[in-house]
Amino acid sequence: MGLEYDLGMSGAFKPEWQIWYDGVQPVKAWLEALRPDRLVVVYNDHLNHFQFDAYPTLALGVAASFRQADEGWGLRDFPPLPGDIDFGWHVATSLVRGEFDLTVCQELSIDHGVYSWFPYLFDLPWRLPITPIAVNMVRHPIPTSRRLYRLGAALRQAVASWPAPERVLVVATGGMSHQISGARFGMANEELDRYFLRHLRERCDSLVDIPQETLMRLGGTEAAELAIWFAMRGALSPAVREVYAFHTFPKITGCGVIAFEEAGP
Amino acid sequence: MDVLPSVPAAPRFDLDEPGTFLYTGAASSRGYELNRCALTLRSASARGQFLADETAYLKRFGLSDEVCAQVRARDWTALLKAGGHLLALLKIAATVGENLFHIGAHSVGTDARTLYAACPRRVRGLGDLGG
Repeated sequence: MGLEYDLGMSGAFKPEWQIWYDGVQPVKAWLEALRPDRLVVVYNDHLNHFQFDAYPTLALGVAASFRQADEGWGLRDFPPLPGDIDFGWHVATSLVRGEFDLTVCQELSIDHGVYSWFPYLFDLPWRLPITPIAVNMVRHPIPTSRRLYRLGAALRQAVASWPAPERVLVVATGGMSHQISGARFGMANEELDRYFLRHLRERCDSLVDIPQETLMRLGGTEAAELAIWFAMRGALSPAVREVYAFHTFPKITGCGVIAFEEAGP
Repeated sequence: MDVLPSVPAAPRFDLDEPGTFLYTGAASSRGYELNRCALTLRSASARGQFLADETAYLKRFGLSDEVCAQVRARDWTALLKAGGHLLALLKIAATVGENLFHIGAHSVGTDARTLYAACPRRVRGLGDLGG
């Protein structure tokens, strides 16, 4: 998605990626109107920052900025992401005191888990301060769907206890159906992706109860990354307003977006 | 859909090999040195050293002769079975001018170009989720 963005910006989106670019423009416009003050991003690292000597199940980044990780092909032409030290420590304290004891990283390089979609939604220069939370999706056991939903609820507490009257955007991101190793490489289950999007607003509990193995059987091993999305849904109240949803399947990963706003004042 | 014959049209809804190599703790222990080696290639200077003398580079990490030979042969599927993580092996692929589709094609039994053309490999159904 990221490299396809770079191609698109140099003048030539492939048709299947033009669909995605066009499909997320309403989200970009919505974000520009919302003008959030801070951003929390729950995502997964792909062995680009962490490695197996110490692989945290859940890790929180607290730093003045987060550099782009070199994934093996060198860096793309983007700056570091701006960090959020005071808010980051506030989130760390709130989560740990709430018994959500994450690994705190004062250095964190960030890969396509964020850099792939970020330029589609945010123009340069990037000013919105970010608090990233990395979830282990590379080695089993991965955290349960219920745990990630509860992480969202814990994030809600952290945001609610931040003293300033600010607007905080919580993004959770992971691929929809996809598998990128083994002979099932490239499998694409759009039916599963659309089922997930359809139920996330009002029947999230039924999605959370789906065994992760079922998601992996139906949508490919990396469809387990859908569990990360529950951290966003868990940060919101039960009754939310769906602003927009979109889905397409360009090549090897289901690409979807869904935007919710709190329904109340 | 003109899926080429060497790429089976519909992946199956199971998690068995060789369709899937589930990345477990046991795999992670089996492939620890291989992954440690591969992940050093996240820096340009390491990639330069690897390309200058691949065998010497691999030897530094205590890999078995068998695994070294599998790396040199770009036997990606054998490396996955040896506990190599796809995302770690991808760093070796990047260093030698290959990509995700080369690794995938090796497991599928085709070439990268054919596999690229065959993707997305659409499947339908929600199994026991119902509708």
